[in-house]
Amino acid sequence: MGKLVTEMLKGTLEGIVLAILSGRPAYGYEITAWLRAQGFSDIAEGTIYALLVRVEQRGLVDVQRVPSEKGPPRKVYSLNDQGREYLEEFWRTWSFLADRLEQLRKGGK
Amino acid sequence: MTTGSNEPKSRYLQYLEIVTGSLEEKKRYRQYKARIKQLPENYRIAVEALERYLMHFGPADGAGAMAMYDDLAELFEQGAADGTPIRDIFGEDPVEFVEAFVANYPLGQYRTRERNRFTTAIERAAGENTTTKNRTD
Repeated sequence: MGKLVTEMLKGTLEGIVLAILSGRPAYGYEITAWLRAQGFSDIAEGTIYALLVRVEQRGLVDVQRVPSEKGPPRKVYSLNDQGREYLEEFWRTWSFLADRLEQLRKGGK
Repeated sequence: MTTGSNEPKSRYLQYLEIVTGSLEEKKRYRQYKARIKQLPENYRIAVEALERYLMHFGPADGAGAMAMYDDLAELFEQGAADGTPIRDIFGEDPVEFVEAFVANYPLGQYRTRERNRFTTAIERAAGENTTTKNRTD
């Protein structure tokens, strides 16, 4: 994965993570592992962790602590109503952006 | 502060805390330090480097900062338990990770204070109505 992808991903990572959580609850490491499996190999676990702390503080996710075999209890995140609302707005913005970029590629009007 | 008992503090403790700062925070910080000491060496070295970096940006104490240290300890304890390589935790650019991380904890942070001051100054210069806004994200 090149630098450009990392740069372009920055603004959308929050939406991506919320989209993942809209499917099912997950903990940080699962999300990072999924992203890596999808080819986003440069994603750092710390980055995802910091992002999850942020969306938790903004009230977009609910958190449940689940005991883990080793290490501290894992924080399992799930999308709540406020998060779902935010995600809808994210997709609307994304459609707008993708649409305009596609027009630009086709010769710009 | 949400930790500690609800018993009223003795007058002596009240005076002492005026001089020394909150004793509960100090206790929490010591607990954090003890947790970090338990980590495998390379994780411990990484956290201590991170802490040293953070200290350069002003006083990192108070309740908000303690929440930050607790979260840090948790991240690295889990990382160590999972055997996550240091590089997978920090990524290619450790500074970027730290910046994203610290941005979540505005309390007492020198940079946030200065950012707010700057934002307010521009609002005033632009002739906008400035009610004290507390930006948290």
